[in-house]
Amino acid sequence: MRIGEIKRMNNKIRFGTWESVTIMLILFCTQIFLSFPRTMAEGAGNAGWILVIYITVIVLVLFAIMSKLYSRFEGMDIIDISEYLAGNVGRVIAGTVFIVYLVSILSIVLREYAENVKTVSLPSTPIVYIMGFFAISMIVGAYAGIEALVRTSAISVPIIAFAFFIIILGVSQYYDITNLFPILGTGAKDIFIEGIPKISFFSAISILFFMSPFIRTHKSFKSVGYISITIAGILLTFSTLAYMLVFPYPASLENILPIYSLARLINYGRFFQRIEALFVVIWDTVAMLYLSTGLFFTVYIFKKTFKLVYYKPLIIPFTIIILGLSLIPQSYMAVVEIENMYFRKIVLAVSFGFIIIIMSAALLFKKMQKRRK
Amino acid sequence: MEKSNFRIFSLILISVIICTMITGCFDRREVDELAYVMAIGLDKGKTNDIKMTLQMAVPLAFGSGNEGGGEGDKSVLVTTIETPSIVSGLNITNNFLSKQINLSHAKVIVFSEELAREGIQKYINSLERFRDVRGNTYLVVSKGSAEEYLRSVKPVLEVNPAKFFELNLTSYRYTSYTAGSQLLDFFLQQSSSGSQAVVTLAATGKYESSDEFSLNGSTYKEKGRDNPLEGDFKAGNIPRVGDIKSEIMGVAVFDGGKMVGELDGEETSNYLIINGKFKNFYFTLPDPLFDEEYVVLNINSGRSPGFRVNMVDEKPIIDLNIRLEGDIISIQSGENYEDLDKLPILERAVEEFMKKDMLKFLYKTSREFNCDICGFGKEMKKKFIDWNEWEKFNWPSKYKNAEFNVNIDFKIRRPGLIVQSVPVYTTEGEKVMPSD
Repeated sequence: MRIGEIKRMNNKIRFGTWESVTIMLILFCTQIFLSFPRTMAEGAGNAGWILVIYITVIVLVLFAIMSKLYSRFEGMDIIDISEYLAGNVGRVIAGTVFIVYLVSILSIVLREYAENVKTVSLPSTPIVYIMGFFAISMIVGAYAGIEALVRTSAISVPIIAFAFFIIILGVSQYYDITNLFPILGTGAKDIFIEGIPKISFFSAISILFFMSPFIRTHKSFKSVGYISITIAGILLTFSTLAYMLVFPYPASLENILPIYSLARLINYGRFFQRIEALFVVIWDTVAMLYLSTGLFFTVYIFKKTFKLVYYKPLIIPFTIIILGLSLIPQSYMAVVEIENMYFRKIVLAVSFGFIIIIMSAALLFKKMQKRRK
Repeated sequence: MEKSNFRIFSLILISVIICTMITGCFDRREVDELAYVMAIGLDKGKTNDIKMTLQMAVPLAFGSGNEGGGEGDKSVLVTTIETPSIVSGLNITNNFLSKQINLSHAKVIVFSEELAREGIQKYINSLERFRDVRGNTYLVVSKGSAEEYLRSVKPVLEVNPAKFFELNLTSYRYTSYTAGSQLLDFFLQQSSSGSQAVVTLAATGKYESSDEFSLNGSTYKEKGRDNPLEGDFKAGNIPRVGDIKSEIMGVAVFDGGKMVGELDGEETSNYLIINGKFKNFYFTLPDPLFDEEYVVLNINSGRSPGFRVNMVDEKPIIDLNIRLEGDIISIQSGENYEDLDKLPILERAVEEFMKKDMLKFLYKTSREFNCDICGFGKEMKKKFIDWNEWEKFNWPSKYKNAEFNVNIDFKIRRPGLIVQSVPVYTTEGEKVMPSD
């Protein structure tokens, strides 16, 4: 299929740089409200915040390489590029990989959020009931479509960011700068060598390559990538730094929900306290936007991979699959182990390795075609 | 799905969600169905591991909004049980109460000294994990039984028993004789390799009548003083009687999860000054020029304390630089210390007096307790590049050999409402100073 034909197939929906940045921020920063700061402490001790800066820089470099490769395929997404490279087989393989990847990540995140809601807010409520509420929001969001999701993100992200900074500043009375020493935490090797796989926390970058047809130009695409990675890096660094400043290593390894633990500490006088209620609201908003966007892209990729006309009939079946998969792990601990031991490695391979390989191969193929001509 | 169908679907979905939401949460618990625990006391048990005392609020007794003073014993319900663990104790209590126990408003957890000396780590771990208990819950070590202490707490000046604990345990901000130790502070300090924890010391007053007063429990002799000052006591020994039997004074020092010693009120104020947690307090000083007379000052923190830690021959040398300022509150002798020529006499006397006591306190923490409660280790930690090096260095084993150099810079800022003391006329027409 020629590039021109693929371009014509693309959706007419378009959104601006800021809206695209906000949806990417939701996808990148969801982990802040789950276990991200603690995971950084597990990786580098009290130097977890340096690790975040380091992986952000690596991701920016990788994105520079990826966007350079992608510049020759403006208006196409990864499925289109795979099809261009290897025809229907390429399209189906690439599509299946990304569908499996998205279904897995959504089922893990759905279970994590539901388990955490059960732990902190609804201890007596059955987990299925909580997951059901998240599933309903996923369905509604995916039905509303990408445009509605992006617009909702554009409105929600500034409010979420404001609430996040209230929490970060609210605990400043507990900050102890000495918690950041020894400066290199558990060691330079842990940060600069063993910390590299932690770039998987930016795995949502792969979604950007599916969003590209909705973004007007390659210049805008690059801006969205650089701005969202940088802002996400700053927010992730702030969250980890604030956590490290309050909880010294190794106490920082204990909390199940680091930012929630910070929010619980806010206490100014007898009236301004128990601010974690605010946390639960922003937390659920982020979860719903993340899960809805993830579900939308799952069905969108499925539709595109198998050349279906509509994607909406796929929403409920995929939600049921995600819901079912998320109930498989026996416990929250099992979910965390699956995520850290297996899933993060697969995510790393798919989000960065697979995309770079496809684009490099497609570029090579394109050059070869030109030479033949 | 067509647009009109989608709208109908959305409408039905939203209606279902709203209907579900407005019926309340799945596991709702009404406020009037809960019994709110204000304080938990833990002693060693006779028939089981622990004896747990719960002090619960009786909302009907203070719910009328009457601010005219509470009827201490009626606004709270105190119950004691023996149990293998805290949570199982709550389970037992739920059997005989009409309301379900809730710890989300618990203000204080009291450990008996006996239990604290055995170690409270396992209880702290259990409380940290329990979602109802908050990090800002105060911890207290009771000299004697925790049950006795909680039963002696009578919030006479407060309608709300929770407010009593909140105000009483934050009084260190203007007395400096306790430390306002919270669950989070304790947890963070004991899990830090650069500092150790302290917990406010409490007790039930031992005197029934003012005729029984004695100085047996005072620490003034250990400090080489002729007379006790107000900070030379620990909880349980303050010579006082009154309707309120409970009292707090001093702190218990912990090594990890075990209590290893106690500090009196004055030592606690030194702890607060060095830690930068000090706000202000009334400081009584023997008059530098007149024996048996006192000068009282209101001392507050001038700047945050500074300290440097250096290792010399495997020995930590700790240099402290403390800046304080104060106002004159009372000069019993009537000496004109307000005079700019005499002001330095008083300032130097305060510096010398405080320095002597502070050094005693610091050597007590290192030589006697071997507990770095002031967190000098945190400063030392800055000199290391990574965690392995720091752990190998093993700061706790070095602290017992620490040497201290204290420099106190004290300035008097204001004389109070009197700018100079004038003599008093006697019936003989003599002009005498109050000290004469």
